[in-house]
Amino acid sequence: MGSVLAASSPSPPPPPSAAGSASPGVTMPPGFGMPPVPPAAPPTGSGAGKEQRAESLLPNPGAFDECHRKCKEVFPMQMEGVRLVVNKGLSNHFQVNHSLLLSTTGDSSYRFGATFVGSKQTGPAEFFPVMVGDMDNSGSLNSQIIHQISSRIRSKVAFQTQQQKFVNWQGDAEFRGEDFTAMVTFGNPDVLAGSGIIITHYLQSITPSLALGGELVYHRRPGEEGSVLSLVGRYTASDFIATLTLGSAGAHASYYHKANEQLQVGVEFEASSRMQDSSASFGYQLDVPKANLQFKGSVDSNWVVGATLEKKLLPLPLSLVLCAFLNHQKNKFQCGFGITIG
Amino acid sequence: MGSVLALSSNPGHQNWPFSKDPLPSRWDAHPAHWDRPPRWERRDGRLPNPGSFHSLHRSCKDVFPHQIEGVKMIINKTLSSFFKVSHTLHLSAVSPSYYRFHVEHLQSDDYSKDKDAPALIGEMDSSGSLNAHALLHLTERVRARTVFQSQQSQFVTWQFETEYRGSDFTAAVTVANPDILRESVILVAHFLQSVSSGLVLGGELVYHRGRAEEGGILTLAGQYSRPNWVATLNAGKGGAHASYYHRANKQIQVGVEFEASTRTQETTTSFGYQMELPEANMVFRGMINSRCIIGGVLEKRLTPLPATLIMGAFVNHRGDKLQVGLGVNVG
Repeated sequence: MGSVLAASSPSPPPPPSAAGSASPGVTMPPGFGMPPVPPAAPPTGSGAGKEQRAESLLPNPGAFDECHRKCKEVFPMQMEGVRLVVNKGLSNHFQVNHSLLLSTTGDSSYRFGATFVGSKQTGPAEFFPVMVGDMDNSGSLNSQIIHQISSRIRSKVAFQTQQQKFVNWQGDAEFRGEDFTAMVTFGNPDVLAGSGIIITHYLQSITPSLALGGELVYHRRPGEEGSVLSLVGRYTASDFIATLTLGSAGAHASYYHKANEQLQVGVEFEASSRMQDSSASFGYQLDVPKANLQFKGSVDSNWVVGATLEKKLLPLPLSLVLCAFLNHQKNKFQCGFGITIG
Repeated sequence: MGSVLALSSNPGHQNWPFSKDPLPSRWDAHPAHWDRPPRWERRDGRLPNPGSFHSLHRSCKDVFPHQIEGVKMIINKTLSSFFKVSHTLHLSAVSPSYYRFHVEHLQSDDYSKDKDAPALIGEMDSSGSLNAHALLHLTERVRARTVFQSQQSQFVTWQFETEYRGSDFTAAVTVANPDILRESVILVAHFLQSVSSGLVLGGELVYHRGRAEEGGILTLAGQYSRPNWVATLNAGKGGAHASYYHRANKQIQVGVEFEASTRTQETTTSFGYQMELPEANMVFRGMINSRCIIGGVLEKRLTPLPATLIMGAFVNHRGDKLQVGLGVNVG
């Protein structure tokens, strides 16, 4: 969930996504997907700020968190057990989803989520405020409120609890200039204990294809404080995106390539100085719209091979997901399937 | 499940479907092509042959879903009218993954000229376990069967069976695991007699002998069948096994089973159903157990591909365990 979790320790697990892709125009942290909100609108993606007003002006580089997003979306998501998700749109503004997970390894759970979209329209498919809430059968809550305060400033407040204990509370504000994006995040501020995390992001378009930026994380706890600086560079061409993040916390390089209408390929390399290990992954996504099929596969340097198959069962509003992951090194195998209704 | 396995030390069936032991393969049950058509389809005035003893409970057992776990891929290939080959690859989370090669040499049709050709079935595992089956028609009424089963390098089953099919009765003698060095053997004798057009009575006598002990168990069996339902009962000192099979309509079949064993001192009641939707090329089997096990398996033919997709899940509410399985059968 952004670099708040990366810098803090211990990091709580990111909330599993309820369903589907992010709503157009809304910045969603990875792992917290939102079901598509009716009326259906063609997804413009969060790089919506990339529209070029004039050839001489540089485009807005988009949000900082989105740099590696395109490559990460190509990889299959690991799931196990049986999952049933029911999405129901109650009105133009309100959507509800129920999700039941029967797990082979952990605990089974039932999740209830609600999404509310306001009526302030700022773009072709962007409506604000957006409120997303999610409650577990054990009482764990995930919630987010995203609002466009002015034409250039967007703000977000997020809370996460593990049963009754708050593990994550953060607020951030993002400013989108003509050719730059700046964001400040306050993570887990605790005035009484004197602890907190402040993250600042800055991303600047140098040329129409090249964007450079940086991230500064300052964390403080009673007794210790520290900061981490990383630099980011992203090069975008017509059919590929290459991104590199370098810092004292490690390196993260990703390459995304769109081969043709059906095939997309992603290569990722991550090295962490804190965990003292590195991994490289290769993933691909195959879309067969005629068969309503989407197949994602991945191979890892940790000897993990995985694949996900997603098929829409028309004419029913049903979607079937089959998933299998095999870890050759540890000789562990995991498979699961899920059904999404609505 | 014949009583040979009940006497042997293989406890697999008791913990089904959550046992880690390999599923006891249905080698003691005769392959489906061995049996004549079901009794209620016979139209002549004479009493029909009752079939073999092992298939008394077969119609009820076929309604229940099979244990499914992990990902299984089966490729079947027919090389000629006599030869069939099948490759199985199983990736599993709870038991070791394996590759299995299965080959069959048998006639695919019952009415060909060469009725005396033996049926040979062999199966080899990636760990070296072997399953071999030979079926011979000695004369028109006498059949012989040999079964060899090994677990990696050690033989666990070697049995020889002879069956005589009279006009309205069946008699079979089986010698299982004869071991001269250890002086142990299991002898099983089966007898089934058609008493009336729907009623079949019979019995099974098992004599087992080891170095230190010997004993015999007698079990009586009875089966009553009507066009739409079949009720079967086995009762003896070793336990009781009652089953009821009912065909509600063309699409729904229902089975209820009750098993009690004096050796393990436990009883189980199961209810299962099978729903067929030929228009959707789909078969669904569900079951619920007195051991709080609920399971369902869905099979769907993916026309026009010669492939079948199988998805299933079993939940053991008492132990709070879930088993999920996916399978693809090609060919």
